[in-house]
Amino acid sequence: MIASDIIAYAWQSLSRHRGRSLLMLIAMGISVASVMLLTALGEGARRYVHDEFASLGTNLIIVLPGRNETTGAGLNAMPGVTPRDLTLDDARALARHSAITRIAPLNVGAVEASWQNRKREITLLGSTHDLLKLRHWKLAAGQFLPDMEWERTTPVCVIGKKIRDEIFGPHAALGQWLRLGQNRYRVIGIMASEGRTIGLDVEETVIIPVASAQSLLNTPSLFRILIETSSRGAMPSVIEFATAVIRERHYGEEDVTVITQDAVLQTFDRILSTLTYAVGGIAAISLVVAGILIMNVMLVAVSQRTAEIGLLKALGASRQQILRLILTEAMLMSLVGATAGFVIGIFGSWGIRLAFPELQVYPPFWAILTSLLVALVTGLLFSLLPAGKAAGLDPVRALQGR
Amino acid sequence: MIRLEQIHRDFEVGDQIVHALNDINLDIAHGEYLSVMGPSGSGKSTLLNIIGILDHATSGRYFLNEQNVTDMDELAESRARNRHIGFVFQSFHLVPRLTAAQNIELPLVLAGIAPALRRQKVQQVLESLSLADRAHHTPDQLSGGQRQRVAIARATITEPSVLLADEPTGNLDQKSGSEVIVTLEALNQRGITLIVVTHDKNIADRSLRSLQMVDGRVVSDRHGR
Amino acid sequence: MLAKDFIRLTGSAIISHKLRSFLTMLGIAVGISAVVILTSIGEGVHRFILSEFTQFGTTLIKVSPGKTQTMGMSIGAFGTERPLSIDDAEALKRLSFAKSVVGIIQGNAEVEGNRRTRRTTVFGTGHDFPNAFSMPLQRGQFLPDDDPLAPRALAVVGSKVKAELFGDSNPIGRRIRIGGDRYRVVGIMASKGQVLGFDLDDTVYIPLARGLEMFNRVGLMEIDLLYHEGVPEDRVVSGIRRLLVTRHGREDFTITTQRQMLDVMGSILDIITFAVAAIGAISLLVGGIGIVTIMTIAVSERTAEIGLIRALGARQAQILSLFLGEAVVLSAFGGIAGLIGGFGIAQLLHLLIPALPVHTPWTYVLLAEATAIAIGLAAGVIPARRAARLDPVEALRDE
Repeated sequence: MIASDIIAYAWQSLSRHRGRSLLMLIAMGISVASVMLLTALGEGARRYVHDEFASLGTNLIIVLPGRNETTGAGLNAMPGVTPRDLTLDDARALARHSAITRIAPLNVGAVEASWQNRKREITLLGSTHDLLKLRHWKLAAGQFLPDMEWERTTPVCVIGKKIRDEIFGPHAALGQWLRLGQNRYRVIGIMASEGRTIGLDVEETVIIPVASAQSLLNTPSLFRILIETSSRGAMPSVIEFATAVIRERHYGEEDVTVITQDAVLQTFDRILSTLTYAVGGIAAISLVVAGILIMNVMLVAVSQRTAEIGLLKALGASRQQILRLILTEAMLMSLVGATAGFVIGIFGSWGIRLAFPELQVYPPFWAILTSLLVALVTGLLFSLLPAGKAAGLDPVRALQGR
Repeated sequence: MIRLEQIHRDFEVGDQIVHALNDINLDIAHGEYLSVMGPSGSGKSTLLNIIGILDHATSGRYFLNEQNVTDMDELAESRARNRHIGFVFQSFHLVPRLTAAQNIELPLVLAGIAPALRRQKVQQVLESLSLADRAHHTPDQLSGGQRQRVAIARATITEPSVLLADEPTGNLDQKSGSEVIVTLEALNQRGITLIVVTHDKNIADRSLRSLQMVDGRVVSDRHGR
Repeated sequence: MLAKDFIRLTGSAIISHKLRSFLTMLGIAVGISAVVILTSIGEGVHRFILSEFTQFGTTLIKVSPGKTQTMGMSIGAFGTERPLSIDDAEALKRLSFAKSVVGIIQGNAEVEGNRRTRRTTVFGTGHDFPNAFSMPLQRGQFLPDDDPLAPRALAVVGSKVKAELFGDSNPIGRRIRIGGDRYRVVGIMASKGQVLGFDLDDTVYIPLARGLEMFNRVGLMEIDLLYHEGVPEDRVVSGIRRLLVTRHGREDFTITTQRQMLDVMGSILDIITFAVAAIGAISLLVGGIGIVTIMTIAVSERTAEIGLIRALGARQAQILSLFLGEAVVLSAFGGIAGLIGGFGIAQLLHLLIPALPVHTPWTYVLLAEATAIAIGLAAGVIPARRAARLDPVEALRDE
């Protein structure tokens, strides 16, 4: 029997029972579509986080005070303070390495900002000129912190968009003197609004020179040192260099943790990928249920078509041919169902993308491939029993419809 | 061409054993026209099924075209059925969702013949059985006699050497019944071996050889009309 | 029709197609098991996390410096121009509802003892710490109730630090160096294990004032206050607020109650459990389609039978209820099988992976069973109506 005849024959028997076949298609379609949509969502979330991180900077190394032996370098590096401060001098010592293109020491604190009689609590960042380019931020107006000696305290500040809106309202903010704590700082720049990044809302931030922040917050210690290297390949040597330099400066005590942006990103990647696999796997259970349905319907079909199968045998169909006919019927069913599910999945993710443009919801290739494959394999596996039953029918009895 | 040697066929019904065929010895030559008669339960259908390789003898040997059928595996049996044997049933056994032409070409489809060649053969058969205008009708659009002629067309499409007909007129009125018989006899005239199981004395009388069966045995074997 | 006869008729229809009925139920059962297993895990994790939090007591209130909060962390803990001081903590102690008050500074330092060193988390805190956080001691005592501004150089070690530095020997009374300063060990904390990824045993506790000095800080990272049970929470919150506003001249701190944390955490976990259950329910939906399919087949197969009982005087409503009954029985039994299977697999998972907390939430289970029955009903409606509307003459002719 040639392949096209097998398929044509199977197609004819399926289309004879339209309602039943349609229901099987729906079942298979829902399963495949849900696997695709859910993995697409998971993948979209992963990409979103990925892009967020990528926007934080490239080839980024982060030095933070404190090192814990059990927690290691992880996400939950606690707000470490150490007996020996991580200082501006430490940061400057790091800047000696030739592969370092930018370096930005960082202080963070909560401070009250006021102008005329408007007040609000803000997140204060103390840093240097390099921070803007290192974090790929953009200015909406004015300029960023001047390129100057790190130790110099200059009363200037760059403010986030929300701060401008809430404190200055309709007034022009540039050139105004903003009170932070006990001191006043002249507004020289306004951050563009796009800078919302993980863990820090740039819109609600005021940035001042690092030395000013240290005196305002009354601490000589830095919160982080951000380092950008010239290339990815240079990162390991910079990490080694940074660890060694700080150890030497801290009298042999290794009390900092040096992590790369990539390491943090990978952790997120891993978590979200695992989540995507898990969600896809859970949705794939429905494929099994759809498989059971196919098996059930094929069993019914075989028992209803007993006489027909007997006839085929009388006309010279071998056991193999009967097996192949029934399997083809089931496979055709799952193939069409899976294709329908695939189309729904593609359109569904397109719909989600329309609704949430910031999420890049595309079903991952592996999910498409595996869900289609699993659909076909379940169709095949679950129709083995009915097909075997049909092939094993005794022709004489089958012709009598028994 | 067909040789049965000491064929027995036993069925287990509950805890009893029924001897459906009991020591059948039979030689059928090429081109014969044989009718099998007997009361129901006499084993005539079983005999037909064994000759058609649908059923297997409990013991004994069966040669078809000098080949020992008893030794064949499932695949060889299917192939032998497809090539050498044509079946015509009392209840026609047409696949309801297929058209007359599609029903007729089924054996060729199973044999893996290319569509172009199939179409040609089906066309020939349809014309020779004057069914050409019915080619694209489904069975429920055909009369009983037409259905059985389609079934005969299907049985002969592979040009088998033996045509087995089990009560071919059982579901038909007098007129279509005799039409079908005439069709079958015409095929026999062209050289096909025809074996007809029937209740109808008139049909048996037309055959050149007639078997009488009772309780699984051949009780008479009349040659000549 | 008598109820008994109804059941017999429905039952015989199901039993006459054993394999088919079994497979239909299996579809529903797989769906229900998926929901039960997933919600069991979800609920287990939910309870586990809540118990991690409530082990610190529900009458705990955290005061942190600064008003800005990001991702549950206080920016003010990193630095602020108006810090919380030891004096603030002492003032809070004098509030009538305060049971225990502890200021906390947390840092990271090298601990040296028994000629071994280890970098660990250092907590600068006060005498009441074990009470406030329900953290019992394994041995010895916690830090004594010294003058908060000039405490003695005493330290308590976590069980992991003790094991790493001293092995099996008793460290109480021994000298250790923390961040270069000398301390005497007075106690060992009982093991608490990891809480949300943070190892509570890899810690050292020293007096708050010494912690501030060691880390060169003026402000505390947080003050935790445990209040007496029975006092209304809002009274406690407003009392704390009034006192600190009086002291600071403005509200430059954030008060977080344990209940708020639990509420937020609980609602997030509820959403996750629900989402997971919903994904599992896709299988249930597919199982429902299975029932529709099989019931449609059953109706078309039994057309003649329907015609016969109609001819015998059955009303449309009776035919409808017969087929609906069949669908519901299939889904209900499938559902029960799924419940048992799901519960069993969840327990088995817990046995195989003890770290995975599992708890089968009975409300979800009942909901799942109700859903299964509802699916049976919904799935049965179309085929059953088709059966009920069959013209008896046509139906009988189908034979």
